[in-house]
Amino acid sequence: MRIDVLLVEDNPGDVRLTREAFREANASIRLHVASDGVEAMAFVRQEGPHADAPRPDLILLDLNLPKLDGREVLAQIKSDDHLKTIPTIILTTSGAQADILRSYQLHANAYVSKPLQLDAFQSLVSSINEFWLTKAKLPHRHGG
Amino acid sequence: MEKTIAAKTPLQDLRLTAEGERQESRAKYRGLLEAAPDAIVVVNQAGEIVLLNLQAEKQFGYRRDELVGQQVKNIIPEGFAERLLADDLRSAEDALAQQIGTGIELIGRRKDGSAFPIEIMLSPLESAEGILVTAAIRDISVRKAAEQHLLQTVEELNRSNEELGQFAYFASHDLQEPLRMVASYTQLLSRRYQGRLDTDADEFIAFAVDGASRMQRLIDDLLAYSRVGTKGQDLLDTSSEDALRQALLNLRGAIGESGAVVTHDPLPTVLADEMQLVQLFQNLVGNAIKYQDPGVPRIHISASRNSGKKWIFAVQDNGLGIDPLYFDKIFGVFQRLHARDEFAGTGIGLAICKKIVERHGGTISVDSRPGQGSTFRFALASGSHS
Repeated sequence: MRIDVLLVEDNPGDVRLTREAFREANASIRLHVASDGVEAMAFVRQEGPHADAPRPDLILLDLNLPKLDGREVLAQIKSDDHLKTIPTIILTTSGAQADILRSYQLHANAYVSKPLQLDAFQSLVSSINEFWLTKAKLPHRHGG
Repeated sequence: MEKTIAAKTPLQDLRLTAEGERQESRAKYRGLLEAAPDAIVVVNQAGEIVLLNLQAEKQFGYRRDELVGQQVKNIIPEGFAERLLADDLRSAEDALAQQIGTGIELIGRRKDGSAFPIEIMLSPLESAEGILVTAAIRDISVRKAAEQHLLQTVEELNRSNEELGQFAYFASHDLQEPLRMVASYTQLLSRRYQGRLDTDADEFIAFAVDGASRMQRLIDDLLAYSRVGTKGQDLLDTSSEDALRQALLNLRGAIGESGAVVTHDPLPTVLADEMQLVQLFQNLVGNAIKYQDPGVPRIHISASRNSGKKWIFAVQDNGLGIDPLYFDKIFGVFQRLHARDEFAGTGIGLAICKKIVERHGGTISVDSRPGQGSTFRFALASGSHS
């Protein structure tokens, strides 16, 4: 069964690393990328060029994004009845307590710091895949 | 032939001698007064100036006949006259006794109205008219200017230090991201193409990976070093024994692997930032475990009080020891005494220890001889319940 993951990340280097890591972890994952907050909202709302976008099973969201900040994206997703049920994980370089607290206050499902080492990064993506996309039960997709 | 000696009566003789002595001592006193390097002003209980010397004339820009009989308030507007007043609560002597010996900083006013900083020292003078007060007055304009300059310099230095700390933090923080890219992708290259390109390529990639790795550790350490300043917490009463215990807990892997034996005396409560104290112990004990000839590391931590209110901690080990030549160098940032393949590490550990100790107002030092182990000592202020 195909799984759709939306990665919201503006650093192309990080995008590719994540893609490679998911490829290793789970071949049936289709990774979609939005490189700023505005594009991310358009994707999840299936608007404009993303009218045919699939509803993501999981969102990986960086905090520092151009145009619309990640915190704002999180707030909008989690206050929208139609979107709030999508598990949203903050994946960011920031380890600041303030950011962690704020994210959980905005109802992020989890907060993870990007590791500096490649091994650790791959291990992290593997863990995310194992927990969220294998073990945890997710709500059925809305209307296919 | 008889000499005729002009004779006076014995009584007149005596009186003349006594008077002569008085005149002589008055002249001597006046001489001393006039020659004094400081301005001297003598004031009575009513706050009137009864006597002044040449320096006083010069300092305040008056002729003495302009000042004698005038209120001392005219030249020292505030802080002097009040101190002389005998009130219901205490006599003039008591009022004075409280001021003897201490220099008092006030403002003097010259004839032309200009003000200047002065320091006065008071002493009582008994006289027929009651207790007089002698004030030695020193113009401290130069000293005040130097003090001001010093304060300004210190403030600038503090600001500069803070800027440097911030810079070190931001530089290392911003460097981490591009470095992560280099490190991750060289590792990916290595992983995916090892053995599939030629041996030269493998070697080149290996050097690149190693370089990136080392750079990441250096940046990490630089960040940790700068955080001692930027993320420091207030100094509070802290149990140093608890801090050591936490440090040993953090080191349990290294302790287990090396079979190290770590002992300690009862340790006191000190004024410290708890996290930094843990870090300090962790670095010192970690080093003691690491720098060993193969053997069982034995480490002992103790604390003793010095003559002041400080506790001197000692971390003693039976390790490699250090040549006295390097006693200062080892506390430098990224300073190492061994090759990379002998012992791991970037050489930041002791620099961080030094920064932590200095932030706590103490100093750190080492006593050692090659082959005879080392003792690291540092001082911390005692806590309020020690």
